[in-house]
Parts: sequence; C-alpha cells; structure tokens
Amino acid sequence: MSAAEIYLDYAATAPVDPAVSAAMADCLAREFGNPSSLHATGRRARQLVEAARAAVGARVGAPPERLVFTSGATESNNLALQGVLLRSRARRVHLVTSRIEHKSVLDVAHALEQGGVAVTYVDATPDGHVEPERVLEAITPDTQLVSIMHVNNETGVIQDVLAIGAGCRARGVLLHVDAAQSAGKVPLDLAAAPIDLCSLTAHKLCGPKGVGALYLAPRVTLVPQLHGGEQERSLRAGTLATHQILGMGKAYELADPAREAPRLAALRDRLWQALAGIEGARQNGDPGRRAGHILNVSFPGVEGESLRFALRDLAVSAGSACAADSPEASHVLTGMGRSDVLAGSSLRFSVGRFTAEDEIPEAAARVAAAVARLRTLAESAPMWCSA
Amino acid sequence: MEYSPAVVRHFDAPHWARELPRDAPGLVSGDAEDRTLHVWIRFQLQLIDGVVRAVGFRAFGCPHTVAAANVVAEWLEGRSVAKARGIDVRGLCAHLTVPVEKLGKLLRIEDAVAACWRTYSQGS
Repeated sequence: MSAAEIYLDYAATAPVDPAVSAAMADCLAREFGNPSSLHATGRRARQLVEAARAAVGARVGAPPERLVFTSGATESNNLALQGVLLRSRARRVHLVTSRIEHKSVLDVAHALEQGGVAVTYVDATPDGHVEPERVLEAITPDTQLVSIMHVNNETGVIQDVLAIGAGCRARGVLLHVDAAQSAGKVPLDLAAAPIDLCSLTAHKLCGPKGVGALYLAPRVTLVPQLHGGEQERSLRAGTLATHQILGMGKAYELADPAREAPRLAALRDRLWQALAGIEGARQNGDPGRRAGHILNVSFPGVEGESLRFALRDLAVSAGSACAADSPEASHVLTGMGRSDVLAGSSLRFSVGRFTAEDEIPEAAARVAAAVARLRTLAESAPMWCSA
Repeated sequence: MEYSPAVVRHFDAPHWARELPRDAPGLVSGDAEDRTLHVWIRFQLQLIDGVVRAVGFRAFGCPHTVAAANVVAEWLEGRSVAKARGIDVRGLCAHLTVPVEKLGKLLRIEDAVAACWRTYSQGS
C-alpha cells in the first residue's frame, strides 16, 4: 500500500556515489597494505592516502599536509575542542560557542564544562544567525577557542565565519568551524580564511561513512585524544583506513559546488513554492543566507511525531538525524525562539545529487495530504497546539 | 520509535476520529490536555437510553495517542453506559504496546472520557 520512498534527507547522509563505491571496492580488493609500512605494499597504500588527502585539500582550499584524517566530523569536533582546550590544564580556559551547534560540539562543550572549562553559549537570532558581534563580545582574556558551525545542519543558514574569524584573529583566539554541512556544497577556501580548525566529513558528500578530517592551520597545536600510534603526525593514532580515505578523496574530487549548488537551490526553491501553499507553513532560517540544499518548514497545528509517522514514505528529518531518537524538540529551533510544539511540527528537507525533479512535487503533495489529515484529526484543538 | 502493527492500523485509519453533530440528542463532550506532553483530546459520546450510541474523538498527539483514542472509541460504541463507565483504558490499550514514557498520554484519554461522564451525570 505504501508509495515508493522519496529520499530528501541528504543533510543526514547521502547515497554513496557509484564512482566512489567502485573506487573503494577496487581498493579493498587490491590494496590491503598498511600505509605506515615502509615496504612496497605499504607504500602503495600510502600513495592512495596522500592522493586522497590532496583531493580533499583541493576541494576546501587547504594544503594537504594540514589535514588529519579521522572517523568523521564528530571525532573531528571532539579532537578540535578537547585537543585545544585540554592543552593547558593549569590555567583557566574559556570556550565560546552557540546554542545552535551540532550535538557533537555542544555535548563536548558540556563535558568540558564538567571538567572545569568555562563555556559561553551565544544565542541565535530568530532567523537562525549567530551574530559575529555577539560572539566576539563573549570573548574574554581566558578564551582559547571559538567554535561556530559554517552551515547549520537543521536550517541551512550560513554563518558569517569569516567575520567571526577576523575578530578572533584580532584577539588572538583560535576559531574552529564545523563544516560538515558546507564542505563541497558552498565555497570554502581554508587557506585564505581566518579559520584555524575545520571539521570535515565524507558521507554528507556522497562519500562513505566512518571517515572525516580535521584541518589545522599552521600555528595550531593540539593534544591528541587517541593514543597508540604515530599516525597523522601523532595527532590521531590508529591504522589508516585506506579504502575509507580513498573514498573520501573521491567524493571530494567529484563534488562541484559551482555546478551542483544552483541545481540544488532550484530544487529546494521549487519544494518551498509547493509547500508554501499549505496554510500556515513557514520557513525556519533566513532564506537570504542559506545553503542551497536545506529547507526547514514548520506546519502549525500538527503534532510532530504524528507528522513524521504519517510521512514515513518520505525520508525527511525533524531536525538533526543525530538526535532523531530524542523526544526533545530541536534545540536549534527552540534556540531561534520557536516553541517546543512548533519546533516539533517542523521538518527538515534536504536535497542532493540524486534528487530527481519529479520527486519534488510528489513530496510536497504527500506533505500537504498528511498535514491536512492531521489538522482534521486535531480540529478544534486549542491555540497552543498551533503556536 | 517503533510502532506496533496495531498502532499503525489505528493511526492510519482512525474510524472514530470524527465530529458528531453538535445538536445530536444525548451528546456529551469532554476535553483533556497536557501541554508538556503535547497532547489534547476531545471525546464526544452520544448517550441514548442508557447506551453509548455513537462516539467521536479529536486528537492532537502522537501516533500512540491517536491509536489509543481510536481503540477506546471503538470499545465504547454500543456499550451500555453502566459497562462503559467501567472502562479500563490502560488494559484496553495494552496490545498497542505504548512505551512507558507515553503512558501519561493515555491518562489524558481517561480524563477526556471521565469529563464526558461528569457532564452526563450533571445532566441526568
């Protein structure tokens, strides 16, 4: 009875590009060497790793030697925050971040607070911006690090990390940017940007899960969080997963924001045009400063869990996929001033490389039908159900 | 969140999710809500000659809430008032395997039905 699923959850993860999986399969079949070994088998694997590092670096404007491979953006965020803030245990240490960061930053910040690190959480504006002035105002003489994401994973709003970075540089404070949602999708030139650490991932970009990287500007030092080997300049111990890294390199090589971003933005805009016909539907996040692949919409008057369940043949998210099991409303939307109820009745749609044009009107029709049914079910409900 | 087949069935086709005519004879209505749980329920019972002739409900809530309300409505319709007043909502909805953290929502269904009985008692 159920219709074919339409996948509009690219911000959660993306299908692996066939060219990526083919390259990875070939690597798995042929190159089993340990890239740290000095013999010929190991050196061949090392060459593949370094070629991938160069491809990733080329896509984000980073010298390859400034990239440390990790297991993904979550590990990169952990390494960045803990690696910087646990360098000097003797003195008071302060972190500035925002209330609308990904859990892989916020939960690390909370853990660091338990260990005595002072943390300031900057509020977002109702349209999803983290204003550079507010971030820079929060810096104190003890501040060692500011961590602000580039593109918000729930709203797609692009934060002004260049202005934040310039202010941080002027104050001698490091800036970490989580670019999991932006790398390969919006322009990013790390060598030219006032960014000191930057987290990258492969799987949002049609690459494999389980691999990412952390960019470190030349003057940045970290204490490693994994011990047991001297891989990655002793910053990340563990045998390098050659096939994963190769897959990330291929994904970054294939990603072409100049070509893909306009198409994705057009799909996103068509989707919004179709959804805007639903009474009361409203976008979350500044439409004028947003990555092309994400659209977040509230549908007042419908209960969020029922909406998502009614749309189980449409792959979308309530917010971050990493918090999908949590009954709590999106901290990003409540951080932008939405009520718990309205945040719950919001859906994140995200398009990607393999989204077909004809899926857009069909997806919108399914949403419209589900919203209409649930609103009828809740007819005469009190105002708080819609506010 | 996992949903039992019974929840899926009742959520997808909640036959008793309807509005009974406001001027229907013997109509009583009861609301209950819990804003922190994001749940609101309205039950309508048409009580004629000591029998629950028709039932309707409206719900703002999760799939378990909608399914449970439908199960309750289905059970109530056609019962004598005497039997219907002894309804055991939790027992009736046991087959829905409602997660423990959602049992508070079933209480709101009980409250809405209880509100109907209060109105009935006041009127009779």
